[in-house]
Amino acid sequence: MNDRDLVFHGLAVKRHAAPPAVASLVGIDAARVKSLLVEAVAGGRAIEAKGGYALTPLARLALEGRYSFHFAPLRKNEGFVAAYESFERINRTLKQVITDWQTIEVAGERVANVHTDPTHDEAVMDRLAGVHEQVETVLQALAGPLPRMRIYQQKLLAALEAAEDGDREWVSDVRRESYHTVWFELHEDLLRIMGRAREE
Amino acid sequence: MGESLPLDRINTGAVPATPLVEATLSLVQDLVRNRYRESGLSWAEFRYAGSDRLLRKEDFAAIERRILDAGHRFAWSAVISVDERPEAYVPRAGDEQAEAGFAHPEAPQGEVEADGRAVRGVGDNVVRQQTNAVGIARYIRSNERVLTYLSEGVPRGTIAVIDDSGGTLTAPIIEQFAGVICAGGTIRSHLGILTREYNIPCLMNAKVAGIKDGDRLMIECSAAAKTTEDYQQGVERVARIWLLTGDAEVRS
Repeated sequence: MNDRDLVFHGLAVKRHAAPPAVASLVGIDAARVKSLLVEAVAGGRAIEAKGGYALTPLARLALEGRYSFHFAPLRKNEGFVAAYESFERINRTLKQVITDWQTIEVAGERVANVHTDPTHDEAVMDRLAGVHEQVETVLQALAGPLPRMRIYQQKLLAALEAAEDGDREWVSDVRRESYHTVWFELHEDLLRIMGRAREE
Repeated sequence: MGESLPLDRINTGAVPATPLVEATLSLVQDLVRNRYRESGLSWAEFRYAGSDRLLRKEDFAAIERRILDAGHRFAWSAVISVDERPEAYVPRAGDEQAEAGFAHPEAPQGEVEADGRAVRGVGDNVVRQQTNAVGIARYIRSNERVLTYLSEGVPRGTIAVIDDSGGTLTAPIIEQFAGVICAGGTIRSHLGILTREYNIPCLMNAKVAGIKDGDRLMIECSAAAKTTEDYQQGVERVARIWLLTGDAEVRS
């Protein structure tokens, strides 16, 4: 894929992001990302707001039209497709785990988890670690044909370790590259590669 | 790394001048690529005979639909264009179209109650809040609107009415909503996870009708949250959405 499309793809996955964040996702130098994005703004392909960039609707469509060209080999790669299907299965578990991290049953009712019950939190963390073990295998298989998938391995592991070290914001905080943030981007990336739509 | 067709090779040069040309070209090429692949024909057969049969008028109409659905409106040079297809063209000055609201056939509809409230729908509460949320309904279905809000900020007290349970469109501005009503998904959807994280009242899988852009609403986010078990066992557990008419007391 050319740099322009790779940067646009990274921006589509992150939706609204500054050049360094896109750069780390797609593995292109941040200065190069910045110059492509500045050019994109000048040509009406992106907007800049609050230090971040976002693709304009038509630029997003144009990018999506080219996916059938860029990703044709991956869509035909049996190993990659099988790994993707496994990811979709694990994804259902992950969403339940995150939901259980955010909510807790108190007197028969689901309420926001304020993290004062270590037993509940530890049990959910154990399940998250279990999910991570499964996704490691999947990412290994995805990274064979598509090496840039390794970045997700690193980011997920970093978030998991930070959460296990006691800073629980690393599980699902939306303002940082928490486990759930990275997972969601990985899912978005894969949906775009495969040309699929989100289920739920 | 792509699968190179002749049409892909002729276009490796300059980027098209305008975003509309680039999008149209890209979507037409995508169509050709897919039809060619499905046809099993050789490129010569496809080009000389197959394409007349395999590329249909409806395919091109669908491409135009995607462009319009993305929020684009075509510029017009004769007024008759915009008069005949107001949905496809930039509106005439002072002639902004009102956004048509969701109209779910199963949305409960109530009479105006003594306190000025009228039920306009129900949804699955993602987490129980202390109080109900009140705000102004704003449909967010076009990228254009998201881009405007992203650069100018979301108006205070906005209850976003959307159908995108992945939060794909709204993620960059979600933080600024006073509430969310989503016509799809479940409490476990990505959007459910995001709104819980931001502590924004949110109803998923909402069935609403009779809510216009700009209406004042109350959402019953103090109702019990829907649970995974509820979905599995088919338990009806909903939170209501009220339209607040002129004299409604705001009591939460």
